[in-house]
Amino acid sequence: MKKSDVKALPSMPLQSPTYPRGPYRFFNRQYLVISYKTDPALIREALPEPLEPAGDTVAVQWLDLPDGEGFGAYSAAAQIIPCTFKGEPCNFVSQMYVDNTPPLAGGREIWGYPMKYGKAVLAVNADTLTGTLHYATQSVATGTMVYKHDAFRTDHSKELELLSRTQVTLKLIPDIDGTPAIAQLVAIKFSDIKVHGAWTGRARLELIPSVNCPLADLPVREVIGGLQMVTDMTLPYGKVIHDYLAK
Amino acid sequence: MGPYRFINREFMIVTYETDRDLLRQAVPEPLEPNPEGQVLYEWIRMPDSSGFGDYTESGIVIPCFYKGEPINFTAQMYLDDEPPISAGREIWGFPKKYALPKLEVCSDTLTGTLHYAGQMVAMGTMAYKHQVAPGGVEAQAKGMTRTSCNLKIIPDVDGSPKICQLVAYNLTDITVKGVWLSPARLHLIPHVNAPAADLPIKKIIGGKHFISDLTLPHGRVLFDYLKDA
Repeated sequence: MKKSDVKALPSMPLQSPTYPRGPYRFFNRQYLVISYKTDPALIREALPEPLEPAGDTVAVQWLDLPDGEGFGAYSAAAQIIPCTFKGEPCNFVSQMYVDNTPPLAGGREIWGYPMKYGKAVLAVNADTLTGTLHYATQSVATGTMVYKHDAFRTDHSKELELLSRTQVTLKLIPDIDGTPAIAQLVAIKFSDIKVHGAWTGRARLELIPSVNCPLADLPVREVIGGLQMVTDMTLPYGKVIHDYLAK
Repeated sequence: MGPYRFINREFMIVTYETDRDLLRQAVPEPLEPNPEGQVLYEWIRMPDSSGFGDYTESGIVIPCFYKGEPINFTAQMYLDDEPPISAGREIWGFPKKYALPKLEVCSDTLTGTLHYAGQMVAMGTMAYKHQVAPGGVEAQAKGMTRTSCNLKIIPDVDGSPKICQLVAYNLTDITVKGVWLSPARLHLIPHVNAPAADLPIKKIIGGKHFISDLTLPHGRVLFDYLKDA
């Protein structure tokens, strides 16, 4: 392959790039978000400076992604820590688990999503919206929410505000000699968001300690509630808001 | 943090000849593919890898030349464990994807299989320890010090290329515990996201089976496409 063609490759490997160029639109992207109170001192430890904690509530969310452009069909689970950057409210994505290489590699390499391989499932089991997560064969999280108990509503302004909030990730890429090549805070804003439906309701969350999938390191003190959403949305490229290597 | 030590790392490598034009396309300049058109199709069992755990890998390595020096280019890699996928891609630029490779002894046959996204894409078989390789473990250990290289591509957050390099590394502290040559066969099935069959088999050269301990250290930049191209 010619050098000029090498520079134009979207990703490794040369013969079959793992992911194409963005942006990436998701259709029927479904969420189960369970918000809970945890220990503020542990939030501070889980949040990289210069991000500042915003309260004592965090969330574990499950995503069913049946149709992601460039990525295919897969599921994900994540831990989200609400915070502020220079006073602006944003959500720090502290942990994320997926079961599909293109979003895993692309997520880490483009935006710095902290993705590891884990088996998340979001499913309706009889009367219960159920999220489960297995990591290295063991169950590490179970979330359950009542199924569409509140009446269907057409006003989704609160959900739009939530989904439009800036996501922040910590992108870390080593150089070939082991020193850091990239160490940045990256801001990501989803665009063209459509909410097909949103429901709130009672929920429970169980997190099981696991060293390589440590969701339980932010222990559940009190569950606030659950939020189910069905959306279409576009994941664009991001922007660097803090560079740890800049002098 | 590395380096990463591997204990009892077991290899089955089937060498075959492919189409020279297709091989040229699969190798990034300024690397030059070997003039014989040879390709190494590999299965590797790694039961004990520091930092990474227990996993199996399969893929394609192309013997090349860089400025006249022999060097192995890793063209495709498939494995079943995420830390070595992420670390492999992000540190050394190994072109790794998640798949289910298997290397096992099935009665009299050393057998490698690779499934990608539910479908079989490669199957290799080798007769079991028919002949100790000439030169034995010392010659094999020396051969494994040959430089290897990868094409490391990491995008910037705006989608433009941030890292686009050929990176080189050399294995260290190599102990070979056994090495055998035997007849082998290889079957590659066309698949768009695991395109091993894009380098079709014209002729099987043979199979090599060996077991070793080795260390994978950090590496060095050989060629920087953003600066040098």
